[in-house]
Amino acid sequence: MPKVKDTSASSKALNVIIYAVMVFSLLICIIPFIYMVSLSLSSPKAIINNQVRLIPKGINFEAYKQIFTYPNFFRAYGNTIFYTIAGTFIALCMTILFAYPLSKTYLKGQKILMKMVIFSMYFAGGLIPNYLLISSLHLTGTRFAMLIPFAINQFNLIIMVNFFKALPQEIEEAALIDGIGYFSILPRIILPLSTAAIATVGLYYAVFFWNDWFNGLIYLNTKQYPVMLFLRNIVNGTMVLGDSSSASTDTATLSISIKSAVIITSTLPIIVLYPFLQKYFVKGLTVGSVKG
Amino acid sequence: MGKRDVGRDINGRSPLQRHFRRYWQLYLMMVVPVVYFIVFKYIPMIGNVLAFRKYRPGKGIFGTEWVGFRYFKRFFEDPAFWRAFRNTLSLSLLNIVFTFPLPIVFAILLNEVNRKRFKKVVQTISYMPRFISTVVVIAMMTEILSPSSGLFNQFRVNVLHLQPVYYMNEPQYFRFLYIASGAWQFTGWTAIIYLASITNINSDLYEAAEIDGAGRFQQIFHVTLPSILPTIMVMLILEVGRLLSLGFEKVLLMYTPSNSSVSDIIDTLVYRTGLTNQNYSYATAIGLFSGIIGLVLVSGSNKLSKLLTGDGIY
Repeated sequence: MPKVKDTSASSKALNVIIYAVMVFSLLICIIPFIYMVSLSLSSPKAIINNQVRLIPKGINFEAYKQIFTYPNFFRAYGNTIFYTIAGTFIALCMTILFAYPLSKTYLKGQKILMKMVIFSMYFAGGLIPNYLLISSLHLTGTRFAMLIPFAINQFNLIIMVNFFKALPQEIEEAALIDGIGYFSILPRIILPLSTAAIATVGLYYAVFFWNDWFNGLIYLNTKQYPVMLFLRNIVNGTMVLGDSSSASTDTATLSISIKSAVIITSTLPIIVLYPFLQKYFVKGLTVGSVKG
Repeated sequence: MGKRDVGRDINGRSPLQRHFRRYWQLYLMMVVPVVYFIVFKYIPMIGNVLAFRKYRPGKGIFGTEWVGFRYFKRFFEDPAFWRAFRNTLSLSLLNIVFTFPLPIVFAILLNEVNRKRFKKVVQTISYMPRFISTVVVIAMMTEILSPSSGLFNQFRVNVLHLQPVYYMNEPQYFRFLYIASGAWQFTGWTAIIYLASITNINSDLYEAAEIDGAGRFQQIFHVTLPSILPTIMVMLILEVGRLLSLGFEKVLLMYTPSNSSVSDIIDTLVYRTGLTNQNYSYATAIGLFSGIIGLVLVSGSNKLSKLLTGDGIY
């Protein structure tokens, strides 16, 4: 990296370009969220008069009050929390239980299993075979349809395998000599050493389950819908919020604020937690180069 | 000891017996995941035979009788399939042309930022959109572009005194919006890979360039770019390998009957014919066809990548 200060005119010009591009990128990333916050807090009148830009006009919390009175929003939010926690837990268990043996190259069949895993990343059963499998297992219409089929993601599995491979083998060998089996080595020795990898993979899974909507659409009943599917349905008009009997212009414009309020509340956990977890997210990319 | 006892230990166990005695817990550990993997990854893969078989409800997921290439013939003669095929290819190619260079430029520029704190802030914020749900991305885009209250139409109406445009519904904007939202979501994230590659460049190269009197511009073009060229090649080849697998969920979210002339891609066609109209075998055939092309593209591009850069993905 260039450490010596280059003070030429071209270097200054480059600095201008760099900072302009960076500030532009920052704004582009942030503005949509600011606009959503602004819409969700503005009065219906300001919205209909096209006055709302990045600063809310006629600040009120009506939209948030409204969505918290909808039982189906609460239920959807609760569903999403359940899918995220249960899904991530199941997925982590399954992924670790598979990744740990797979990291032992001396096991018979390890190479073939690894090839199987990688092949399935490039050629999968399509939408229809998957759908028919889930329905023939009678998972359709059950919450398991959101959890079980996604218990192992091959990319996450490979991140774990590579991480386990890189751990020092000596502690494990010492434990084996002491007569401790792999069933206790894994939870007592390996897992405490793997918190970074578990956090990374766990976060990838959690984000997947939090954001999933399509599987809810094809497999679930309305009561089991996750919040993302709820949002999709109010955005494309499949679901009308509140009582449609009093459909005035006021409720129509209020619905813009409500959509924004749903966008903000359903994304908030990610936005709030993200800065703290970011280092793990990024680690995943560097730990897990996709290699057998 | 006799010949048959070669390799046996004092307890008379063969190497294989010893192996399993020692490692049985590891084998037992992966029984459930392996069964899971076969059921949820490999059975659907085998389930693709449905493309060659007739499906009858309640008669199993593999269908009832062989019908050969009947469904393939049918979709080859179906103009809706060819429209979806063309739409998939053009959206994909345009997407590569416009979004592929962005993370490279972004990474190179970000690397030149000297203020550590500012760099960290830019990184943190530019990765974030990757973790936002596609549903939220499309919902935000819909609100920003809304014909009645969105930011863009406010500008059109109030400043340019033009008629508002329903961007999300007009076919001519669909591709641009797909590509732009993808760039918004993934530029920062994909740049991580290039940044990692840039940090691996030997600093001696920069010092040598500096002694030769190269300015920062020249260092970018003569040191940074050539050094990350292998990474760029691998990424490009991978992109080409994924030509037929677009962001199906995003296209489905953006799909409206009025923009279907450009937004109907192979995956949405499979979804509609399969799940909406329940032509399971026909939809499986289309899905299998695009899956096989995808596999050929991936393995072909991987071979090419190994040939050109000595580095592949598997």
